Amino acid sequence: MSVTDTSPLARFTVVEVNDRDVPQCLRIATSLAGKIAADLGADVLKIEPPGGDPIRHAPPSLPHGESALFQFLNTSKRSLMLDLAGNAGRAALGKLLDKADVVLFEEPASIADFVRTSRATPVEIAAFPLEMDAKARPVSEFTIQALGGLLHMVGEPERKPLKLGGHQACYAAGLTAFTGLATALAARDAGRKAPAVRVSLAEVMQWVNWKAASGADASGVSPGREGKQSEFQIVPCRDGHVAVVYTATQWPAMRNLIGDLRLDDAKFTNRASRRRSVAELYEIIAPWFAAKTRREIQTLAQAKGVPFGPIFSPAELIETEQYVARGFLAEVAHPRLGTLRLPQLPVQWNGRSFAPRPAPELPT
Amino acid sequence: MSDRPLAGVRVLDFGLLTAGANTSAMLADLGAEVLKIESGAYLDPFRVVGKPDNADGWWNRSPQFRFTNRNKRGLALNLKDPQGQRVIRALAAQCDVVVENFRRGVLDRAELGYKDLSAINPKIVFAAISSQGDTGPERMNVSFGSTLDATSGIAALTGYEGEEPRISGMDVNYPDQIVSLFASGMVITAVMEARRSGKGCFLDFSQREVASFTLGEEILAAACDPKRAHIRRGNANEGIAQQDTYLCKDGRWIAVTAEAAQPDLTALCASQTSQQAVAELLKRGIAAAPCNDGNDLLRDTTLSGVTLLRDAEGRLVKGLPYRLDGQGITIERPAPDLGQHTSEVLREMLGYDDAKLEDLAKAGVTSTTPDVGDV
Repeated sequence: MSVTDTSPLARFTVVEVNDRDVPQCLRIATSLAGKIAADLGADVLKIEPPGGDPIRHAPPSLPHGESALFQFLNTSKRSLMLDLAGNAGRAALGKLLDKADVVLFEEPASIADFVRTSRATPVEIAAFPLEMDAKARPVSEFTIQALGGLLHMVGEPERKPLKLGGHQACYAAGLTAFTGLATALAARDAGRKAPAVRVSLAEVMQWVNWKAASGADASGVSPGREGKQSEFQIVPCRDGHVAVVYTATQWPAMRNLIGDLRLDDAKFTNRASRRRSVAELYEIIAPWFAAKTRREIQTLAQAKGVPFGPIFSPAELIETEQYVARGFLAEVAHPRLGTLRLPQLPVQWNGRSFAPRPAPELPT
Repeated sequence: MSDRPLAGVRVLDFGLLTAGANTSAMLADLGAEVLKIESGAYLDPFRVVGKPDNADGWWNRSPQFRFTNRNKRGLALNLKDPQGQRVIRALAAQCDVVVENFRRGVLDRAELGYKDLSAINPKIVFAAISSQGDTGPERMNVSFGSTLDATSGIAALTGYEGEEPRISGMDVNYPDQIVSLFASGMVITAVMEARRSGKGCFLDFSQREVASFTLGEEILAAACDPKRAHIRRGNANEGIAQQDTYLCKDGRWIAVTAEAAQPDLTALCASQTSQQAVAELLKRGIAAAPCNDGNDLLRDTTLSGVTLLRDAEGRLVKGLPYRLDGQGITIERPAPDLGQHTSEVLREMLGYDDAKLEDLAKAGVTSTTPDVGDV
């Protein structure tokens, strides 16, 4: 798709401070928020510590050895190396902040107190809620998923809990920080005092996992991982796997789609009874899937309005028809690494996408 | 009140379930005035999914609906009825934002799509949130929560070591939860631009793309190296020496991320309670945390921060995922009963009188009871 001629955040300046000795999970969130603002046209200046942002060396790596994570998280930014341990570095940062609208930084950073009192509106990324007073506590994306209750929800009830793929706690916090950043800009733009924004990964993860709290509050029993006892399961098909998902009202359509008379039995008529006979249900439907490809299954199911989900790997998504048609993957011409294909911002503005520019090279 | 970031912004909210309704809830939390439109013929499915019983008024008692729709006013207007459509267009003329997550084409058929509403109100920001986006061969495809775990790539990277993929499941529906975190920021950006330029815009969100966006580095790496393997690694992460969950003496699991291998972890955990093991590991400088469940989250109010709070009737609702000036939000009004504020809003914004409101009720355009049982 074509590129926007409007860059809605073009009149704003954001400084993103990546100080040394900050856990990677916080850096990912900060960098993601900065990246979204930069792709939307804001002038985002990334301050890297001597030696560069450690994410420059984080996996997964590209064939050239460069970090795919860094290249993805830092599109459309400029970069500057500053030693913030020294007075000269801090003074230089202070001058940059005088001219910035927003400053993105992490709670454990050595410059946190300094930055909070600058003229730019602070958007701060932390691991834990303010009241826990735990800024020095060791933390990872994985332990945040545990704390927020997400791990408890995935896997088999009798086996260990599982994390979701990717860096979900960091990305969810980064998206949240972007919304906080937009809020701060909107307040400044309207001539109001912009609020200081604080995003903690632990709060974001709990907020995302609100149905665990809501379910426990309603019944006294917490929802948890159900694995093979769930009505929604993964089944093998001819060329991979499909997620069996449907709402209560879609059950008759699903039953007709599979077309096995045994599904007409009274024990499958409602959600509660299907759950009691779930092993039998899956035994009946498995052969229908086994004989078909993901594409055949998706076509047949969608024709009946049934939302089965074929499982695609990241590699397969690059070729997926819908993503190609919408131009979801941008081709970024990197001066040294050649053409990089990566997801654009997941929004189109009047039918146009926001094309990212390559991430900055290591400053000298 | 009036100095809140989105004070003066009015939102016409057709949002349903989490993806749509929560986007407008986040705008309400920032001070926008949100008018939620449902109808007796089409309730927000959360009113039905979460109904606790079948007694009269069940549609006003769903916890999921209550969690997501606090701080909104609620109107019931039949958008299949031409009269209902006229009323909605008159409201849209006085709104800044529309949020909707109907299947593509539903609002267009009711002449309430972006083309129709921007003709009346050129500065309107129209946020359309759908499974696949507004264009492309799959635009009419349906999905429900974890369908998108599968089609976005998240499921392919989730699972036990070398086993089949996994989804987040119906009690999480993860892809539905993250859309509003991004969409609300985009709407705010577009409102700023509309104020500056006098021109609104059509924001087309694909929930599947939002979920894939969270795997940006994996997609980039795969595009550069098609042979890159995507196998399930359990809880391990590339580049981290040791990361997994361990069962403790008290029967609880803890999660541990160690930058250097810790061969004694299984034994250490088996001989201690989860609390002792977490404390011991943190003391060693190793990241560790209990695998909390919903009841743990309810109990630990320091950990839950501003994410949960209670409305005026003492019922638990969703809070904020972030803080502004250190604070969460207060609940100014509980989630609305079906059609609770129809008359109030039509009087206030459109100057309707008793006779006009009565005509609408008689014609079945407005209502306070559903004409559907199951959704």
